[in-house]
Amino acid sequence: MEKEQIYERLNKVFRDVFDDEDIVVTDTTTSDDIEDWDSLEHINLIVEVEHEFGIKFNMNEVTTMKNVGDMVNIIQSRISN
Amino acid sequence: MNLTSLVFLFFYLIIFIIYFIVPKKFQWIILSISSFIFLFYHNLSFATISQALIALLSAYLFGILIEKNLENGKSRKFLLFGIGLILIELIYLKYTNLFISTFNYIVRVFHIGSQQSYIYRNSLIGISYYSLIMISYLIDVYRGSCKAQKNIFKCALFMFYFPILTSGPFIRYNDMESELYSGHKFNYHTMCSGLLRICWGIFKVLVISQRLGYFVDGVYNNLALYNGFYVLIAALFFPLQLYTNFSGSIDIIMGISEILGIKLPENFKTPFFSKTITEFWRNWHITLGAWLKDYIFYPLLKSDIMQKLNRECKKIFGKKTGKKIPLYLSMLIMWILIGTWHGGAYTYIIGSGLLQFIFIFLEDILSPIVSKINIKLGINEETFSYKLYQVIRTYLLFSFSMIFFRATSISNAIDIIKNIFVWNPWVLFDHTSLYKTGLDLYNYHILIVSLIAMFVVQLLQRTGSVREKLCKQNIIFRWTIIYILIFSIIIFGCYGPGYDPTTFIYRQF
Repeated sequence: MEKEQIYERLNKVFRDVFDDEDIVVTDTTTSDDIEDWDSLEHINLIVEVEHEFGIKFNMNEVTTMKNVGDMVNIIQSRISN
Repeated sequence: MNLTSLVFLFFYLIIFIIYFIVPKKFQWIILSISSFIFLFYHNLSFATISQALIALLSAYLFGILIEKNLENGKSRKFLLFGIGLILIELIYLKYTNLFISTFNYIVRVFHIGSQQSYIYRNSLIGISYYSLIMISYLIDVYRGSCKAQKNIFKCALFMFYFPILTSGPFIRYNDMESELYSGHKFNYHTMCSGLLRICWGIFKVLVISQRLGYFVDGVYNNLALYNGFYVLIAALFFPLQLYTNFSGSIDIIMGISEILGIKLPENFKTPFFSKTITEFWRNWHITLGAWLKDYIFYPLLKSDIMQKLNRECKKIFGKKTGKKIPLYLSMLIMWILIGTWHGGAYTYIIGSGLLQFIFIFLEDILSPIVSKINIKLGINEETFSYKLYQVIRTYLLFSFSMIFFRATSISNAIDIIKNIFVWNPWVLFDHTSLYKTGLDLYNYHILIVSLIAMFVVQLLQRTGSVREKLCKQNIIFRWTIIYILIFSIIIFGCYGPGYDPTTFIYRQF
């Protein structure tokens, strides 16, 4: 899957989880850029992303991903396998 | 061996000299030997050696077994077995009395059986710290975020690294691997910086915390004599006493480690400036919070059971409310664990667990309502006065919860709270009453001046490292400050009658 397609689907998940239709995420988006993205909401986001792409993140990835770019790279590597 | 004692100073000096004389590749061996001496200094017996060995072997062997079986799916079994062994040892040594007190309560209420007396086991220093550190190590190996340590002595050093055995902070293998084993060159600047931090820590412990302790102990240990404002002041002093004691000992720990070239993770960021209890806990005992988040809270929330609950709750209560229920449930479990970690008694579970959960829960559900009311009333939440109100409210809530934390039993905590409700404000102004509680006028003056000094330093800390700021000042000003700090410790430090060089409050955990 191309990165553009991943971002398209990811934007949908982000908008849904954070209830904000204006969210557009990029490689460099971090939790600082989205108001409600705290450590509690992080897990809800992770679970929804897993659901959307039919993949599983391991806990190490969940706790170490620094920005959306990291998340996209993991999604891409999982899907291509 | 207390960190502010002369014995420790002498012990540390010897380590320091040998550490920087031996070649870099042997430095970790010096640290290992020192850590073993520190571990068994007061407590060398068959029981304590067995405890250390069981914990070490559980972590070392299961770390390797987990790594070897990562591919064939057996690693999970080894992980659970390793964690199980570490937990059994921890529970056996630290929490037997929690079970006995629960049992005794049931006996009392239902009139069945007979009361059991408490059992005090001889446990190693730092058991609450190294147990959790090794659990996180095993989980990290299992998650593939670190490699298992094949050298048992290196594994032992990570587990029993002497500075952290008294009061933490919690360390992670990934962060510490290069710090502990790679060796460090002597650096004059680092040494000065470390020494300054040690002095600041000693200042907090000996000048402020000990002094506050005289008052708090004086009142809490004599509740028949004191009530009303005495108890209120003691309740307001205790969080400061705890903070200066705990963060002061962390400063000493960070300093002695920094001089050896080993960086430890920060455990505090000016918590008393927090506007909510949620924010407070992001700045207080940070490494414990991070540990629980990564190893309990996230896995719990992500577990199949919680996800199922999440889906069901969303169906019943709607998306917004529904997703909060598993969240609150996981938070409740996590806070009970935090309370339990602090000690095997219900006072800790309530004071540093349940009450914190209740405050955070209320903050979360009430904050949208409060914001709406504020908008209607035209109250600006961005003003200094409103923020000050929030900071004071947070301090008061934390002080209230700490009444339980400090109390000897739940009934003692209730007595303390009852005792506050006596109207005697004149004790504040009659110039004699407050001086009978363990501190005279002279000591109050020292206390107030040192608290102001700490407050100013904390204000400066909020915009970056105070030590770096001090280094940029000209030499006269810099050394004046350093001399004032050193002489304050020597002159105003509370060594007390029969001074037992500071019992660190967090040491018992």
